[in-house]
Amino acid sequence: MIVRAVEVEGLTKIYRSYIKSVDAIRFSVEEGEIFGLLGPNGAGKTTTIKMITTLTRPTAGAISVFGIDCLKYPETVRMMMGYVPQAVSVDVDLTGYENLLIFSKLFFVNKEARETRISNALDYMGLTDRAHDLVKQYSGGMMRRLEIAQAIVNRPRMLFLDEPTIGLDPASRRHVWEHIKQLRKEFGTTIFITTHDMNEADELCDRIAIMDSGRIAVSGTPAELKRTVGGEVITLKIPSQTQVESLPEEMGRITSNAQGSMTISTEKGDEAIPKILQYLKKMEIDVESISLSKPTLDDVFMKYTKQRISETEDHRKVRSERRSFMRRTR
Amino acid sequence: MTSMKRSISSAFTIAEMEARKIRHDSTELWTRLVQPALWLLVFGEVLNHIKDLSPNGFSYLQFITPGVLAQSVLFVSIFYGITVVWERDVGLLTKLLSTPSPRMSIIIGKSLAAGVRGLFQAIMIFSLALIIGVNLRFDILDIAGVLIVIVLFAMCFSSLSMLLASFLKTRDKMMGIGQALTMPLFFASNAIYPVSLMPTWLQYISLCNPLSYVVDAIRAMLLTGNYANLPIDITVLMFSTVLFISLASISIKRLVD
Repeated sequence: MIVRAVEVEGLTKIYRSYIKSVDAIRFSVEEGEIFGLLGPNGAGKTTTIKMITTLTRPTAGAISVFGIDCLKYPETVRMMMGYVPQAVSVDVDLTGYENLLIFSKLFFVNKEARETRISNALDYMGLTDRAHDLVKQYSGGMMRRLEIAQAIVNRPRMLFLDEPTIGLDPASRRHVWEHIKQLRKEFGTTIFITTHDMNEADELCDRIAIMDSGRIAVSGTPAELKRTVGGEVITLKIPSQTQVESLPEEMGRITSNAQGSMTISTEKGDEAIPKILQYLKKMEIDVESISLSKPTLDDVFMKYTKQRISETEDHRKVRSERRSFMRRTR
Repeated sequence: MTSMKRSISSAFTIAEMEARKIRHDSTELWTRLVQPALWLLVFGEVLNHIKDLSPNGFSYLQFITPGVLAQSVLFVSIFYGITVVWERDVGLLTKLLSTPSPRMSIIIGKSLAAGVRGLFQAIMIFSLALIIGVNLRFDILDIAGVLIVIVLFAMCFSSLSMLLASFLKTRDKMMGIGQALTMPLFFASNAIYPVSLMPTWLQYISLCNPLSYVVDAIRAMLLTGNYANLPIDITVLMFSTVLFISLASISIKRLVD
């Protein structure tokens, strides 16, 4: 039998006996993969992550992490995992080094291994030269990196990251992504992230599940899911007096053709473009411009939840909270 | 490691975390000394002249020093829950609870940290009392006893405060309940006047007030040398401490739910 990193079955959480935050969801995460739980705020992502990390007890359902029952042996599960919550979770009144020291002790890392682990984690996250500064003097990106460093001092088999790059500028965000990918590559850590950022999901995740109003709307690899929203679209500009009635089947289907602008729906745009160009050349039609648009996860999201996943009010709130928190502590 | 060893090590780690924070910035400790200093230097000095308030041949200043000591520790610990709420608000508590450390260790560690703050208060107030010439029994064993009582007392009320925090969940409400609790506890105790001067109904209330037992224990060791009530005092204190720590350990997870 294959032991899965996470296996969730019929997981339900009802708050105050009537608010169904998570509604009988079922999914699994394979060992060594980066799995993303996507959804708008309030979809139940954080509640799900809290139930798996044994912080909240589910109303119903079963969860296991590497085959260990989360409800029966919460402390064993906590021993194997690292968790980075959405909000600031390092102590800003301590130095970076002290934050890691305390957490390595709370995870019962051996005294002999402790210093090596800490300096590795610091080094790994690029924080060595600021290790002995108080965290309140760190930038947002550094704080986030320290939070991840803190979660990896115990070398977890499973890492949970709740909105890992919320509130970060594009450069720090890329930096954090690189670190996450490297973690998996070097230690084979299974990584579970929640995010509302489609780029992040596309960049990081091997598999994703889209969550909406407490249910899993759809799950699969980003490529699979994009295929479900239909093919790619090629837009051509040709002289307006020319007429193209149809194309050979392997190149796609003409969906509109008016005033010199033609759109073609196809499966694999990259491969279809040269064929189409060749075909039109044979027909002696000059192509003025050509462009290809591929479906994004945003389109996938749109299809399954009937809403755009734009930055919602709540996300803006969390982000500004993280920022103002940092201002306040300075 | 056995689970017992782990629990103890976690508790001390949490306490170490707090101690390191104080080492980086100890402003809070010093500002907290203003109030007890005023009680001793102003209130104590003025009322020292009223003979009724000086029972059994002790001066009022002598009488009030153990009371002020206990009161200042009470103030430190009763608001301790606010720190925990703050840690919840930022995400630190979630992270702490996601470690394999037992919940009870986290509560004990945090209450130990309150104990450390209490010790600092105690030492500073002792010194102040010495400077203004209050005559106390400075016996090593008694002092050690007082310090142990102070730590237990701070643990007792800080865990009560964490217990309350797990139900009230916001800093504002914690501020409110802290204010609402401290003065009644203080006034319905033997901290600043002898129980014998209270109206009868208040005397009964003072019997249910843990602060009275603490003040009584400290007073016995610092002033009278009469240990007759000490076993009861310590038992009540121990019992309340264990009770509040256990309850807080169970309910702390409500904060992150």
